[in-house]
Amino acid sequence: MVSKFWNAEIETMPRKKLEQLQIERLKKTVEIAMGSPFYAPKFKELSITPDSIKSIEDIRRFPFTTKNDLRSTYPFGIASISLDRVVRLHSSSGTTGNPTVILHTQRDLDEWADAMARSMYCIGLRNTDIIQNTSGYGMFTGGLGIQYAAERLGALTVPAGAGNSKRHVKFITDFGTTALHCIPSYANRLAAAFLEEGIDPRNTTVRTLIIGAEPHSEAQRKRIEELWGAKAYNNFGMSEMCGPGVAIECREQNGMHIWEDNYIVEILDPDTLQPVPEGEQGELVLTTLNREAMPLFRYRTRDLTSILPGDCPCGRTHKRLARFQGRSDDMMIVKGVNIYPIQIEKILMQFPQLASDYLITIETIDDNDEMTVEAELAQATDDYGLLRNLSKEITYRLKSEILITPIVKLVGKGVIPQSEGKAKRVNDLRKNF
Amino acid sequence: MKTIKQISIFLENQRGKLSDILTALKDENIEIQAASVADTIDYGILRLITSNQVKASELLSAKGHLVIINEVLAIEVESDTAAFANAIDVLTSGGCTINYLYTFHKAGKLVLIIRPSNLEKAEKVALSNGLNLIRGWE
Repeated sequence: MVSKFWNAEIETMPRKKLEQLQIERLKKTVEIAMGSPFYAPKFKELSITPDSIKSIEDIRRFPFTTKNDLRSTYPFGIASISLDRVVRLHSSSGTTGNPTVILHTQRDLDEWADAMARSMYCIGLRNTDIIQNTSGYGMFTGGLGIQYAAERLGALTVPAGAGNSKRHVKFITDFGTTALHCIPSYANRLAAAFLEEGIDPRNTTVRTLIIGAEPHSEAQRKRIEELWGAKAYNNFGMSEMCGPGVAIECREQNGMHIWEDNYIVEILDPDTLQPVPEGEQGELVLTTLNREAMPLFRYRTRDLTSILPGDCPCGRTHKRLARFQGRSDDMMIVKGVNIYPIQIEKILMQFPQLASDYLITIETIDDNDEMTVEAELAQATDDYGLLRNLSKEITYRLKSEILITPIVKLVGKGVIPQSEGKAKRVNDLRKNF
Repeated sequence: MKTIKQISIFLENQRGKLSDILTALKDENIEIQAASVADTIDYGILRLITSNQVKASELLSAKGHLVIINEVLAIEVESDTAAFANAIDVLTSGGCTINYLYTFHKAGKLVLIIRPSNLEKAEKVALSNGLNLIRGWE
């Protein structure tokens, strides 16, 4: 009989044994990270050595790592091993400062591909599948990360890349693609592209969608599944941990199993940084257990989630993360792009025609994220053309900064609601949660 | 200059905005001779000729509206289409471009409020062709 597990031993490992494996791997990871100019002095100060680790609770002695740490040590300051063993780097866009760089050894890449292949197997994909990837190839991990994993699985893998819906439609039709990797909003857009060509997406060969990198609601998932007549599974990854392949829903579609042989999972109160009781919401904090080039300890993901209590009927023993409930910082994820309000502010402040108040509203329109930026005019004008050109120019400059096209609205004084103290800059009306 | 003052108020599409402005003017007994607003999606510009432009402008600014005063031509003609057509013909034959115009009736006459792209030139053309430029009510 064909196994329902990619790696039955790991995936169904009894919790006690899994914890033991985590302790062993944490020790090993500490040993590696003693070569990191970033971690070595911290470990020394906190008396952290491989031998000092006795239980999984010891993770609480470790220092936290933040995105700022990655930026301030740009590009290679956290690396635990010498660059001659590093074979790849991935990087974030770095629009808010230095980009963040994540390094990989060949072993890191192999383990990453294996974890994502395990995730694909978990949702029922096999080597008989034809997997088409709509993520951009390059510095973004959703391209190569999915590619290598799907190849590891043994599936025919189509590296079609981002954009060009017509081409995706043609490839799916011609190649008989059975599975798609895409962000949820692109699943909608691609379905629309099929409908424009007079093809009902339900009549295509696509049976599975791997969706992620963008917060979405259960209702959105249902809608995508209805549009495509296919199953859509929520997939979680982040470049700091490797990329896609950190956690995925199983076929129960009730929470994402996070691969705990690779990560220690903590859910902490973002203010006190103390653990919250199981089942309660907090910030996801991750420690890598299976990486060499750049292990990260207690990395603050800023994603808010909770651990679903109880066992999963699928038989996997790895904990399940609830759908993400938002962020503990002000980062917004819109159309799969990470955006900070400060990026928008920076652009608006370059226009002398604008006053200082602005408001960013994000909402779901026809299942797509739409961002509206309301900017306060500094003075009146009798010229419609001037207003039109101004909003055009603001739209253009914002687009080059945040990579998506917002709707820009010019408003008069007092339209943007004033709040006591800290101004409210973002109004997220998406019904994701 | 034989031009008159017009006030232009930035008007975002927000319920009650126009009422606020009109109520503020009414409370100060400022009369509106003419008003114009075009239909746009996100915002409009409300253009007004009132009995006291300076006061109206100060009042609305104090209430937080974005207001600007600019000069426009007010041409008084007989209240018929022939006179209207003649006035426009004079301006365009004289090489003037009209950005916008709106009209109102006053004591049996028709008043054309015109914003040309070149105000000085339009004023000269109008005067040299015998058009009657009026100076408003202030």
